[in-house]
Amino acid sequence: MRLLFPEKTALQKWVRHWALPGLLCATLALFQPRLEQSMVLHMGVEIPLLFILGWLTANAGGPVLVKKLAPWNMAGVPGLTFAILVISLWMVPAALDYAVLSAPVAIAKVASLLTAGMAAGLSWKPAGFIVQAFFTMNAFWMTFVVGLLYREAPQQLCSVYLEDEQARAGAAIMAWAILALLLWAPGVLRKLRD
Amino acid sequence: MKTTGLRSVIAFAIIVVLGLAAFSAVTAGFAAVTSDGVRRVQLERNPRVLPDLPLIDARGTMFSLRDYGGASNRVTFITLVYLQCQSVCRTSIAGQSWMQHAIQARGLKDRVRLLTLSFDPANDSPQVMAEHARRMGVDADLWRFATVPDTGDLNRMLALFDIIVLPDGLGGYSHNAGLFLIDEFGQLARAYDVDRPDLALADYLARAKGKGE
Repeated sequence: MRLLFPEKTALQKWVRHWALPGLLCATLALFQPRLEQSMVLHMGVEIPLLFILGWLTANAGGPVLVKKLAPWNMAGVPGLTFAILVISLWMVPAALDYAVLSAPVAIAKVASLLTAGMAAGLSWKPAGFIVQAFFTMNAFWMTFVVGLLYREAPQQLCSVYLEDEQARAGAAIMAWAILALLLWAPGVLRKLRD
Repeated sequence: MKTTGLRSVIAFAIIVVLGLAAFSAVTAGFAAVTSDGVRRVQLERNPRVLPDLPLIDARGTMFSLRDYGGASNRVTFITLVYLQCQSVCRTSIAGQSWMQHAIQARGLKDRVRLLTLSFDPANDSPQVMAEHARRMGVDADLWRFATVPDTGDLNRMLALFDIIVLPDGLGGYSHNAGLFLIDEFGQLARAYDVDRPDLALADYLARAKGKGE
């Protein structure tokens, strides 16, 4: 059990380091043209990492930010709703096309995903177990099913990406859904154990 | 606590409204999820006027896309291709070939015609297009191949049809496709799937019938 649920580890400290989001963001920016050349890298790497980056920023910001947001973010519901809406928006194939073809939409994409990650990170603790479970399960099913649809779609979904990339992009989306569920599961088990 | 609840409800409402607005914006009002679908809806709602785009056909004749832009009792189905293409253009051209047979078989020659536009003027010269048309058994009164003589006009042509062409790194291109209709008013008014020319023709015939022809 100890091994499965470590307390404050070196990894956690590292993940909460204030410099990490900035470094990651710079790295992502460096690889942006390469990442958006392929549907798999765009949907499977860039978009999830932007969201995670936002979450890490929230972690680095810590309780101060949570407190500032608290009056507008009861039980984390507005924040998590925002996060889930942003994630689902960028899974719409037409939105992805706009993001590649139009600079303002591309900026909106990056900004909204970072903000969504932050909102989710800042809302997670205040949300409590039940609200967390509600949003996690909804996000999981939504993402998983979207991934399935991408895998199975008979028509070309995006104008800017090839049809044969869709199956792999779909698989990547499904993998993220499962990964998120797996990351969440230890917390649930711990809760049930206590 | 009370103000926190109220503020949170307001924040929640604003977020939901913004979310719906964003979804509506990218899906043409919840009508489509792919760019091709969005284009289809946009064309139906706002048909496009054909610009004065210089073209050259397989016979070497110069003409303008606007020649198709006037009111006429003949409608035109258009696809965009490049002739070296081994994938989706084959579907596009096969669709038009099917249409040619259907038009001939049903005696629709005075009502429907076909136009295939190449976006690869460097390779698809009038001679190449003529050779291709000959191999396809093209009826020249019915089906015309053309391209832009000036590569500077290429982007205007692609933008009109919302076709995105990306070099695939192997000397070819990857691109989205569409089967477009120029209606009786000379407007770019509809887009269909390239692999369902039957539905496109049926839609035209059904609407023509509805207008009392």
